[in-house]
Amino acid sequence: MKKIITYIACFLIALLTQTINAQDKEVKGYAIQGDSIVFTFDIRDYKTFTDEYSRKRLEFDDFNLESVAVSGEFNLWSRDQWKMKQVDQFTYQLVKKISDFNDDFSWEFKFVINEKFWAEPSKDIDNITTARNKRGKNLHVYNLKMFSAYPDEDGNACFKLRGFENAKKVILSGTFNRWSENQFKMHKADASWEITLQLRPGEYQYRFIVDGQWIEDPDNPSKTKNEFDEYNSVINIEVPVTFYLNGYLNANHVILAGSFNDWNESECNMTKTDKGWTYTTDLTGGKHHYKYIVDGNWIVDPDNKIQEYDGEGNINSVMMVR
Amino acid sequence: MYKTLTVLFFFLLANIFVFADDETIVFSEAEILSEYTARIPFKVIDHLIVVEAELLNKKGNFIIDTGSESLILNKVHFDFNELINKKNNRTSGVLSTIDNPLERKLKDFVIQSLSLSNVKSDVIDLSHIEATKKMNLLGIIGFNILKDYEVFIDLYLNQITLSKVDTLGNKLDEKVYLEKITDSVDFTLKNHCIVLNGQVNNQSVKFALDSGAEYNQINKSVNKKVLKFFKPKKRLILSGASDHKIEVLAGKLHRVKLSETIYFGPMYTVLTNLRQMNEAFGTDVDGVLGYELFHQKRTIINYKKEKLYFIDYPLGSY
Repeated sequence: MKKIITYIACFLIALLTQTINAQDKEVKGYAIQGDSIVFTFDIRDYKTFTDEYSRKRLEFDDFNLESVAVSGEFNLWSRDQWKMKQVDQFTYQLVKKISDFNDDFSWEFKFVINEKFWAEPSKDIDNITTARNKRGKNLHVYNLKMFSAYPDEDGNACFKLRGFENAKKVILSGTFNRWSENQFKMHKADASWEITLQLRPGEYQYRFIVDGQWIEDPDNPSKTKNEFDEYNSVINIEVPVTFYLNGYLNANHVILAGSFNDWNESECNMTKTDKGWTYTTDLTGGKHHYKYIVDGNWIVDPDNKIQEYDGEGNINSVMMVR
Repeated sequence: MYKTLTVLFFFLLANIFVFADDETIVFSEAEILSEYTARIPFKVIDHLIVVEAELLNKKGNFIIDTGSESLILNKVHFDFNELINKKNNRTSGVLSTIDNPLERKLKDFVIQSLSLSNVKSDVIDLSHIEATKKMNLLGIIGFNILKDYEVFIDLYLNQITLSKVDTLGNKLDEKVYLEKITDSVDFTLKNHCIVLNGQVNNQSVKFALDSGAEYNQINKSVNKKVLKFFKPKKRLILSGASDHKIEVLAGKLHRVKLSETIYFGPMYTVLTNLRQMNEAFGTDVDGVLGYELFHQKRTIINYKKEKLYFIDYPLGSY
C-alpha cells in the first residue's frame, strides 16, 4: 500500500514538474528586432547533438567547438553559409535583414556545429516542430521554427478572449503561425486571456484553443467558414502609408482616391507642402489602386511606373503594401 | 403517381443545378477585368505559389504548378463517390509521381466568368504536401488549365494574371497589362513541359520551367564545364535537417543565360539525379528552373506562341 502511495506521489510530482516546465517554455534561437532577425545560439540550451555522418548522438564534451552556423529552409540547409559570430563564452549570434526572407515566411531551421553536428532542440523550447522527411514521416527529432509574427507587448494586434477563467491553457493559433497548436500561449489577465503580437499588414484568420477545444473569437463578428464547417475569426492589420504628389503647386484642391476607399472623391484631401501634396492613410497588406484628383482632373501618379488597367480600360497607379 | 413523378422531376432538376453550380472554381479574391482576363493574388508559401479558390463548396489553397500536366484535386478534401472515370494511367508532376489516379472530367470548369469545358482532373491524396508544408491544400492547377491563357506570374505584385488567348496565342483582350516587356525568349513545349535552351559557361543546357519547383535543380550527368559554375556549399538533405536518405549537393548555379541578353544572378540550386524528374516531365532535361527564376524576373508565359516574356522589377524593389 505504501508503495502505491509512493508511486502516486512520484507521478503527481512528475506531472507538476511537467506543468511548470510547460509554463516556462521560451522561444529560442531567434528574435525579431526592428527590421532585423537576430539568430542566437546559446550552448547551454542544447544537450544533444547528432553527427550528420555517423548518426550518433553526442554530448557537447564529445567534440571541440570550432564554428556554429544557422542552417534552414531559407538557405537550403547550408552547413557553412550563415556562420555565426561568438559574442560571449556561451553565445553565438548572426543578424539578417527581414528583407532577406521572402514574403510569407515561416521557416524551419537548426544550428549546426563544425558543419556536421546538429544541435537538437529539446522539448522544453517553445518554438519547436517535429522534423519530417519529404513524405511527411516523423524523424523523431525537432527543428526550430520562426515566424514573421511574434509576441510583443507593443505589438499591433491585441487578442483577448473574455471569460474561460477556469481554463488551464489557452492558445492563439492562426494563419500567421500556420495554425501552430502550441506557439502562442495566451496569458491570464483579469477575467480574460490575452496576447499581443506584432504582425505584418494583411488579413489573417485565427482561432483560440481552450484546453484543447478550438473556438472562434466570440467578440469578433468578422469571420469566415473553414474546411471543418466551422468558423475562423478574421483580423485585418493595417499600416500607415504616405502618398506624395510632386509639383502641382498652383492647384487648389488635390484629392487621393483609390480602391481602398471605394474611389471616394472627397474623403482624402491632400495637404500642400513645399514640394507638392501629401496624404497618409492606413492600408492593409497587398495591392491597392489609386489616382489623384487635381482640381477635378483625374491623373495617375507621375512618379510611379507601376500601373494597371481596370475593367473599363482606365489606367490606375498601383501601390503594394508589404 | 403523377405527384411522385413531379417530385422526382423536381428532385432531379434540383440535382442537376446543384451539380452544375458546384463544379465551378471561384477565385474569390480575383479582379475580373473582362470575360477573358483575371488577376488572382497569390501567397508565397515555402517558395510555392499558392492561390485561394473555392471548388465544390470547399474553400482553400491551390498551388500554381507549370510542372503538373493536369488539374489535381486532393482526395483528402474531395469525396468523389460518383467518380465518372477510373482510368489506368499515370499522372506526373514535379511534386510527385503517382500511380493510377482516379480521373474525372469536370463538365464545366469556370474561372468566375471564364469558362473551360472538359478539363480533366486527377484526384490524388496530397496529404503529404499538407503535412510537410503545414497548409490546407485543395489541389494543384497545372498545364491543362493554364495552357489556354497567357500567364503572367508576377512576384512583385504577388499576382498571377490569366488572359485567354486564341489558337495562335494572341490575347483576346487588348488592355491587359501596362508593364513594359523588356525581353523575350522562345521555348518548346514537350508534352506539358516548358523546355528552355539555356547556356551555362557557353555549354547548352536544357531547362524545364516549373513554377512548382521550390529550388532549381541541375542534373549530375550534365557536362563538366557546366558543373564548374555550380558552386556547391555542402551536402544537403532536401526535406529537413535529419533525413539521411536523400542527400544531394546544394549550392549556387552561376551564369545561367537564356539568350545573349537574358541572364540570371546566382541561383540556389541542388545537384540531383533527374531520372525521376525526366519521367515526370516526359522529356529529357538537364535541369529545372523554378521559383528562383520567377523571383529574379517577372515572367509571362504564352503556351501557344511558345514564348516567355520578361518584365523588369521596379528599381530598388529587388
